[in-house]
Amino acid sequence: MNNLLSQTLQINDVLIVVGIVAALAVIFAVLIVAVSKICAVQEDEKAKAISEHLAGANCGGCGYAGCADYAKALSEGKADLCACGATDNEAKEEIAKILGIPFSASVKTVAVVKCAGGDKCKDKYDYVGNHDCIYQNTFMGGKKLCSDGCLGEGSCVSVCVGNGIKVVDGVAVIDKTLCESCGACIRKCPKNLIELIPSTAKVYVACSTKCRGKDVMAACSVGCIGCGLCAKNCPENAITMVNNLPVIDYEKCSGCLTCVSKCPRKCIKEF
Amino acid sequence: MEIIMILVSAVFINNFVVVQFLGICPFLGVSKDFKSALGMGLAVTFVMTLTCLITYPIYTYILVPLKIEYMEIIVFIFVIAAIVQMIEMALKKYSPTLYNAMGIYLPLITTNCAVLGVAELVIDSAQIAALIGIEATAMNMGYAVLYGLFAGLGFTLAIVLMSGLREKINRLPINKHLKGFPIAMIAACFIAMAFYVFGLV
Repeated sequence: MNNLLSQTLQINDVLIVVGIVAALAVIFAVLIVAVSKICAVQEDEKAKAISEHLAGANCGGCGYAGCADYAKALSEGKADLCACGATDNEAKEEIAKILGIPFSASVKTVAVVKCAGGDKCKDKYDYVGNHDCIYQNTFMGGKKLCSDGCLGEGSCVSVCVGNGIKVVDGVAVIDKTLCESCGACIRKCPKNLIELIPSTAKVYVACSTKCRGKDVMAACSVGCIGCGLCAKNCPENAITMVNNLPVIDYEKCSGCLTCVSKCPRKCIKEF
Repeated sequence: MEIIMILVSAVFINNFVVVQFLGICPFLGVSKDFKSALGMGLAVTFVMTLTCLITYPIYTYILVPLKIEYMEIIVFIFVIAAIVQMIEMALKKYSPTLYNAMGIYLPLITTNCAVLGVAELVIDSAQIAALIGIEATAMNMGYAVLYGLFAGLGFTLAIVLMSGLREKINRLPINKHLKGFPIAMIAACFIAMAFYVFGLV
């Protein structure tokens, strides 16, 4: 057996080949080490420490290309800690310590679509084209008579990390149990209809129209006409009218639902 | 004249991606949008050229005289992995902008078979001489490096064409079962067939 092996395979030859290849490998190893010494770049320790505390979801919800990029922006003071929805508050406090900035635990938020129009809001024209809100929005601001109506093409649906958005009767609806509060849909919506509200909120305003009351009456059966009944009747004075639209102060809101029952247009909705 | 032959041969007739089916992974993985496709293509071009520049002399002046040509694959993998590493570090130091632009694509190239493919191809002087219409003995390092460069440009062309198609396709109303990857495969198939015609003329 030993004989046979030595006849077909000269052990010396093998050793020489191994030696040559090993020598090449060593040369390259030395070269790499040399280059790494010459080209040593000071890694940002801060960014590294921060990325350890981030959720690592790489959802891109913060607007940066992944968690590493966001950590870098954070360390340079360019990004806001609140921009990340996936990291929990304890981890954010750790990051705030690293950065040396104050951080008050923000309440957990969820996104809502501030429009209930859809099929209940009339159209300016028939739209036949790419199923994309941004695309449709380039044609006279979309097909809806209301300047701030949900176009219902579902551009937000495709960016949702948790698959929590559906278009129902021509308007996008967010399932709050699936919302990860990443904010990707907020940036996608060409009409700026989506907003983050505290997950403990009891009510929300399902209209964002900037049209005047009379125009809203003509266009949409669930649009806010700016009557102000909700603000007048709120026992906690939590509602103020800004630009003819109610704005709810969730710190004051007790969840009595008076506004829901008083709204003649039913555009304040129970959450 | 030979340069034009090399260009036509490497970019069109023997395009690495759509004719020889090497480097399909980045071709499908990084062709979702134009910008990243172009970045990947240029990174591959860069690495391919450098690979030819280094592997060709190593093969001709070290492996052939020592009669260990059969170790070529192992040695080439060494070379590619090492130069990609070194390029990455050098870029990080001297051109952070380019480093950020190439991003994750540079490390991805380490295991790209198109790069190993071009290194294997240029040392096979008989085959490459037939491809570009020169005598096998006339093959030298200049041709090897040029072939590497044009092969990379061919890769860039293919991946950029693909990304353009995919960007268009994304905006079209497509049946649900074809959306995304399946339609990309069909598009790749059409590109490959289009390139195949270059081999017929």
